[in-house]
Amino acid sequence: MQTVTETKTKRNIMSSAQPDDPEHAAALLALVATEQSRQAFSELFRYFAPRLKAYATRQFGNEQTAMDLVQETMTNVWNKAHLFKPDRGSASTWIFTIARNIRFDFLRKNKHRQHDLSADELWPVLAEQNESLDDDYALDDDLLMQQLAVYCEALPKAQRTVIELIYVAGKSQQEVADALGIPLGTVKSRTRLALQKLRELIQSDD
Amino acid sequence: MIKFHPSEEHLFHYVTGDLSPAMLMMVGTHVDMCSQCQRHVQHIEEDLAQKVFGQRQLPAEFAAANDSFADDAMLARIMAQAPQPTSMVMDKSPTELVLEGKRFQLPATLARNHHRIGHWHKLIGQMWRAPVQISGEDVLTFIYMAENTRVPEHTHKGNEATLVVNGVFNDETSEYRDGDFVFLDGSVKHTPQTRDEDCLTLAALDAPMHFTSGLSRLLNPFSSLFFK
Repeated sequence: MQTVTETKTKRNIMSSAQPDDPEHAAALLALVATEQSRQAFSELFRYFAPRLKAYATRQFGNEQTAMDLVQETMTNVWNKAHLFKPDRGSASTWIFTIARNIRFDFLRKNKHRQHDLSADELWPVLAEQNESLDDDYALDDDLLMQQLAVYCEALPKAQRTVIELIYVAGKSQQEVADALGIPLGTVKSRTRLALQKLRELIQSDD
Repeated sequence: MIKFHPSEEHLFHYVTGDLSPAMLMMVGTHVDMCSQCQRHVQHIEEDLAQKVFGQRQLPAEFAAANDSFADDAMLARIMAQAPQPTSMVMDKSPTELVLEGKRFQLPATLARNHHRIGHWHKLIGQMWRAPVQISGEDVLTFIYMAENTRVPEHTHKGNEATLVVNGVFNDETSEYRDGDFVFLDGSVKHTPQTRDEDCLTLAALDAPMHFTSGLSRLLNPFSSLFFK
């Protein structure tokens, strides 16, 4: 896989492809991500940095701030290249969204207002998103639910009904009381007893 | 099926980050819920990236003034850093909102900002409100209406944007469901109400100074409920 990318990149370099060719830019990013290739990063830098500077100078009208934006954006490209997902968009779009986020935070940086939004909270471009990890969580949830279902079988029927209505159907205690035509206090005590019983069952199993 | 979307202009300024904080949250949440607007946002990002990076040759005057850029000092500085492949993982913040024992799954933008959501306060009747704390002039707030609830007729001095997070409500002109984004200017009178289903909405309101003053509170008692 890696060698395929490498061969392709070398061929592209020889055919004098520029990083404005999306495939070439994506291949360069992949080389930065997998083997911290300085050659690949230098090529990206020489293409993107001056264009970022032109953009940032237009945005800020201040050369120093513009250079800070270029440096911060390209530092992220160097450090976070592994977060670029070619199936979600082009390399230049990814780099643009990084620069957009940095601009957003720069514009708020010196104001020190309480409750300011940060760019990450709006557009998590550089969040480590591990989908397989999310899937693991989902799987764990399912397993947990299955195990809990087994334990619930051991509860007295009245308690089990209340637990299912609250934790599976998502009803409030008041709604359960209304639905079953029993006092709210009874729902509360059944919930408490059932949770206590479940805790004991789980602990005795460990 | 989402029927009401933010305007082209809202989406564009969401991508560039040039809306008020409250409106960025509103449009971002709609985009979370709407695959059509997700594609739209992606196109806008591509167009802007093309504008910024697309030209093969830099404009001559810029390239000339930019010779110093070739000295590579910055490039060397950046590559002197060891890459940090294991950087921060976003905290798994809670993704649910709980009210009166009901649980609402929050779209990603709201989930990332869960820490900003304040406590629920009961308004009149079967309505609740929870503020979302962000800076800026606008007020951003969750409004929850139980079944068969009617908001007294009101107008707004400024603009009002409403997004249905979960459920359905009606006003004089239409029915609004999950993901629907409604933008009303100050001239519109409306009477939102729920029928058989409850409704959780997120609302952003312009808050001009005079709006929160004592006199307009008396004139428009409803506003005092929102602008506490």
